[in-house]
Amino acid sequence: MELLGHHEENLAERLSKLVIENELEDPAIMQAVQTQPPMQQSGGLNSSIWDGSAVLRRFRGPLLTQEMPSVSVLEYAMLQKPPQGQEDERDLSERALPRRSSSPIIGSPPVRAVPIGTPPKQATMPNFIQQILCPKPVHIRAPMQQRYPSPYGERMSPNQLCNVSAGRMSPSQFARVSGLVGSPLTSMNPKLLQGRVGQMMAPASGFRAFFGAPPPPAPPSSQQQHPPCPGSHLQNLRPHPQMFRPDTTHLHPQHRRLLHQRQQQNRNQHRSLNGSAGDRAGHRSSHQEQLRKDPYANLMLQREKDWVSKIQMMQLQSTDPYLDDFYYQNYFQKLEKVSAAEEMHGDGPKKERTKLITPQVAKLEHAYKPVQFEGSLGKLTVSSVNNPRKMIDAVVTSRSEDDETKEKQVRDKRRQTLVTIEKTYSLLLDVEDYERRYLLSLEGERPALMEERKQKICDMYDNLRGKTPGQERPSDDHFVQIMCIRKGKRMVARILPFLSTEQAADILMATARNLPFLIKKDAQDEVLLCLLRPFSLVLYHLPLGTVTSLLQQLANLPQSATVPAPANLHLTAVLQNKFGLSLLYLVLSRGEELQNSSAAMELMQDNQWTELMSMATRELLRIPEAALAKPVSTPSNLLSLFSRYVDQQKLNVLETKLQ
Amino acid sequence: QCFIFSITVNANLTSLPEKHLVLLRDGRTLIGYLRSIDQFANLVLHQTVERIHVGKKYGDIPRGIFVVRGENVVLLGEIDLEKESDTPLQQVSIEEILEEQRVEQQAKQESEKLKVQALKERGLSIPRADTLDEY
Repeated sequence: MELLGHHEENLAERLSKLVIENELEDPAIMQAVQTQPPMQQSGGLNSSIWDGSAVLRRFRGPLLTQEMPSVSVLEYAMLQKPPQGQEDERDLSERALPRRSSSPIIGSPPVRAVPIGTPPKQATMPNFIQQILCPKPVHIRAPMQQRYPSPYGERMSPNQLCNVSAGRMSPSQFARVSGLVGSPLTSMNPKLLQGRVGQMMAPASGFRAFFGAPPPPAPPSSQQQHPPCPGSHLQNLRPHPQMFRPDTTHLHPQHRRLLHQRQQQNRNQHRSLNGSAGDRAGHRSSHQEQLRKDPYANLMLQREKDWVSKIQMMQLQSTDPYLDDFYYQNYFQKLEKVSAAEEMHGDGPKKERTKLITPQVAKLEHAYKPVQFEGSLGKLTVSSVNNPRKMIDAVVTSRSEDDETKEKQVRDKRRQTLVTIEKTYSLLLDVEDYERRYLLSLEGERPALMEERKQKICDMYDNLRGKTPGQERPSDDHFVQIMCIRKGKRMVARILPFLSTEQAADILMATARNLPFLIKKDAQDEVLLCLLRPFSLVLYHLPLGTVTSLLQQLANLPQSATVPAPANLHLTAVLQNKFGLSLLYLVLSRGEELQNSSAAMELMQDNQWTELMSMATRELLRIPEAALAKPVSTPSNLLSLFSRYVDQQKLNVLETKLQ
Repeated sequence: QCFIFSITVNANLTSLPEKHLVLLRDGRTLIGYLRSIDQFANLVLHQTVERIHVGKKYGDIPRGIFVVRGENVVLLGEIDLEKESDTPLQQVSIEEILEEQRVEQQAKQESEKLKVQALKERGLSIPRADTLDEY
């Protein structure tokens, strides 16, 4: 009993000393301090309690920062004393946390008393870092601190020394490493140690490390000053003017230059102010002056700034930049192409196109294995971020056709079309990407890639025309539905280049066949015009026969020519629409080209063509000029085409209309 | 792109404080000395001034210290102190600029009303974005 009581007294003494010594600024803790000590002495506290749980507390503690007033002072005190006190000899492994699987926190992300985003106050304590429950290497570790920082300008604190020896990262050290490669935390260590060892000897705070080589005797004298402004001690360590801060490696190259220039300017200003070049004392005083004017400058420590930069750089890490940052990558590629093209033409100086070097991370496979206990039946049903569990068994029941109203059917059909468009679009994006993948891939993989690509193109076409693999495409309905939707039209325009000639011609036909309907539907969107370009490209590959039938479709004549109606509504609609008219002109122009070029003409085709031509010209003549749409472009050979079929008078009329 | 922050963050180091211009999501423009920033783009602005622009005129309302939550920041840029005075814009008093702003808002609302009215007469309507169910 005596022993226990004695132990208690010692504990209380140590506690009170500790609390006072600690210079705690947190008012909440200070309040707690006043109330806590009496409590400790009351009630027979078994010292063994402390011994046992001290292990637990010791590593719980470091996860908390001073901002957690809920931490009881006793716990806090326990943290402070033991590591530096008796337990130094203790084995580090004893401090290790229990294995993750048996910890009370199962399946959830590592417990953090402080949110991940908290900036560091001080350098971190390495021992505790190693004990964090953190299986994933790219986790941003919560910086930890043990106590409030010692006054500025001190020698490198034991914390920092420990850091170096443990080879751990602290925000201040991180920035010195250029670029993040791979697992940033592990691969940096050799570099750090090399870099740091040289600095360790210098009796200055860690900030000086940023400025490269250890400066000559001036710093020790500077540290004796304790300027009142927060963070202004940094200014005393004004770097060598020529020194280029190595931590700016994360900056965009253009900005680095700007910053350098500005530093130069500042330096020049200082020089002119003080009259003596390179006078360090002069620098310092002028800085202090400026700081007096603006006492809030550099409220953020360099360490904090670098910490934020570090996070930002880590956010830029990407396993697949083409997936995450598609537009950025493409934009820069285009720029490079343009500059390369420029270089080819002129032999001007090579323009520097410097890019921000973003860290690249190798893809890490995280196979999450749910927690399993030996000897238990089945698995735990704990759900967490890493392991989401199905809570409700929702079964999809399809309704019977009879129940639905007409409206619903229409709506569902439309939705089906939308889904088809989305699926086809994904295929399209993949197909467009194959070129790039091809270039990046190995020789052996390439045939497989080509096969995939071909297959996808076929799938796309099937999607467009409707899945039914009948002898003939039974209906255009599916296609027309797609074409009624803005996105569908744009998609077709993008798909056309990938299709074979037949498939493309098929699409063209379907469009021409249903053109008036599509025109009507397109009234609001006016997107049909985007199809002109790919259509014209396709046209130039088509033989005359196809062109003729295309024209037929446009004019909506059945195979066997009947007595032409006085007014052909189909064609009229076509003529009155910009897209329709442009398409018609293109078709006519192409036909004319083919006629002129090919020597032997089949009679039948000639007849057909002639008939169609006369039909078209008749329509063109009939339609009042006001109703005629304005085409995108008028091909030049149209006039010569018409001249063959109509007399001079009508030709003149046509000419005016074409204008 | 996040590297914008690293620019300003590192620029904080220079002795002369730099003014920054922040554009918020609600359209406000704040100008002040950026004292602190974090990875969410939460900002601490010192001696902030809210600048209202109407046409070629602008007016400043002094606001003191601002702490801005990062999600509301659209962009943040540094103001070149030398070029700051070199602007075609004319500074006016607060009352004047607020009056100008009110007038501008009113005019905009009226023109919008007229437009909708005209379309209604023709039997058309500009579809609101939320009623469109297709892309």
